[in-house]
Amino acid sequence: MELLEGSAAIAESAIAAGCRFFAGYPMSPFTGLLENMSQKLPAAGGVCINAESEIEGVNMTLGAAAAGFRAATGSCGQGIALMQEAIAEAALNETPFVVFNMARNQQDYFQCTRGGGWGDYRTITLAPQDVTEAVEHTQLAFHLADKHRAPVIIYGDPLIAQTRVGVDIGPRDFGPLPAKDWALDGTSSGTGRSKQVWTWAMGKSTDPGPGPDRHWRAIAAKFDAIEPTEHRHAQGWCEDASTLVVAFGSAGKFVSYVVDELRAEGLPVGWFRPITLWPFPGPALEAAAATAKRVLVFELNGGQMIDDVRLNVPDRRLVRGIGGVSIGESGLGFGDLMDAPVVRERILEAMQ
Amino acid sequence: VEREVIVGGIGGQGIQLLAKTLALAATREGRFAMLAAEYGGEMRGGPSKASVVIGDEPLRALPVLPSTWSAILAHHRFTESIVDRIRPGGVVVVNDKLVDPATLRPDLTVHGIDAGKIATEVASAQAVGFVLLGFYNAVTAMVAADALAAAMAELLPPYRKQHVASNERALAAGAAAFADSAGSGDRTDAAAQVAAHEQAVA
Repeated sequence: MELLEGSAAIAESAIAAGCRFFAGYPMSPFTGLLENMSQKLPAAGGVCINAESEIEGVNMTLGAAAAGFRAATGSCGQGIALMQEAIAEAALNETPFVVFNMARNQQDYFQCTRGGGWGDYRTITLAPQDVTEAVEHTQLAFHLADKHRAPVIIYGDPLIAQTRVGVDIGPRDFGPLPAKDWALDGTSSGTGRSKQVWTWAMGKSTDPGPGPDRHWRAIAAKFDAIEPTEHRHAQGWCEDASTLVVAFGSAGKFVSYVVDELRAEGLPVGWFRPITLWPFPGPALEAAAATAKRVLVFELNGGQMIDDVRLNVPDRRLVRGIGGVSIGESGLGFGDLMDAPVVRERILEAMQ
Repeated sequence: VEREVIVGGIGGQGIQLLAKTLALAATREGRFAMLAAEYGGEMRGGPSKASVVIGDEPLRALPVLPSTWSAILAHHRFTESIVDRIRPGGVVVVNDKLVDPATLRPDLTVHGIDAGKIATEVASAQAVGFVLLGFYNAVTAMVAADALAAAMAELLPPYRKQHVASNERALAAGAAAFADSAGSGDRTDAAAQVAAHEQAVA
């Protein structure tokens, strides 16, 4: 086991997963990941570029991914806001890469799950609860991106980026993937059969493509097919819970910690943690909430995931937010809400 | 069992390096460690805090500790919130020229050391964190003493390697200060004290 800061552990996990291109622009708490990539990727035969802006970083990543390489970019939510056009393009022209949102807080739920680009697309989003899970998710993200030919987001936070833990990192096998026969790897240049990665899929006069209507319908159908198959979640004590607490990412870890304690004290509480934010594990939440008389949502934002919770529980009138906006003094991290005693108090208050 | 320590002081006292050294020493012993750091932008004088958790099994602890088994207080500034989180009877090591032990809760097991004076005598004022760490580890037997020295040497960047020997002296002087206060240089005495303390807490 090595004692690694989350940013270093994620960088090593990405390299172990075969990531060979990384481009981004520093912004705390993402900076540590970029720094680690710049130190470690060249030694693995890869390329890391400190781009001139987030927009360049994501488009460089799109280019490397279109050439068939496992590639990634990242920022925090503020910088990923700038990347939305390229992420939408990549979703629509089917270029797989990974976007690390080493966020400052939980205010990017809508950004991750709804996106800010144009067109009918979704981004698979994995929200790890801690460094250990982030290492695992990093490997899974590259696999899912290649499997579905789509950008995949890892939604981290300052606790995940900056906490040091003992971790083991090695390549993980998630099963076989289709060959990247679509990649612009230069092998068909000058043959008259050169390939295209193009959002509008018009093709060439000598080799017409399906065009936007057929292409975008196929993309929409692809995301429809991903939705029921790729959702992931974790849960505890739900079978007979009269109060269910839903939370994602680090907040999910804090909630499960507190709920485990409350259960030990005999209170009928359960916890539910979406691991994929899109696809949202709706059917699993619906089942977990079967006995719940109240469903509490603890998220460190003004109320974003609560929309998905309301859409999926048997009775939306039982849903209530117990989180809120909570930003640390520096503006770069969580505020006082990300604290087990506070979570405990809010759950107990809501149960009265 | 998971053991927690929250270390607090001001930027420049070596709080972060102290915590990294302890966490790395435990990792090199094949145990599970977690280190969560919190500090301001200032290199000197700003708040500096770190939490270390060590256990023999995968850790359950949160990166923001709801409570702690022990603490090291290097400075009176910014450390009140740490004291609030120490569990009843918890072990507290204080840099006693800067933190008045009399101001702490009466239920705590407080061990004071003039770490600044000792650091200046055996190394330099900058080694105050390692004096505190050597002292703390003698009190709690968190890790083996030589594991601390090895972790410290591993953590220093190449341009700081000249400080390895003086930092080792600082760690040893901290440990010796506890042995003196306990009337014995034997580590098992410290371990026995911790065991007795745990029994008292239980």
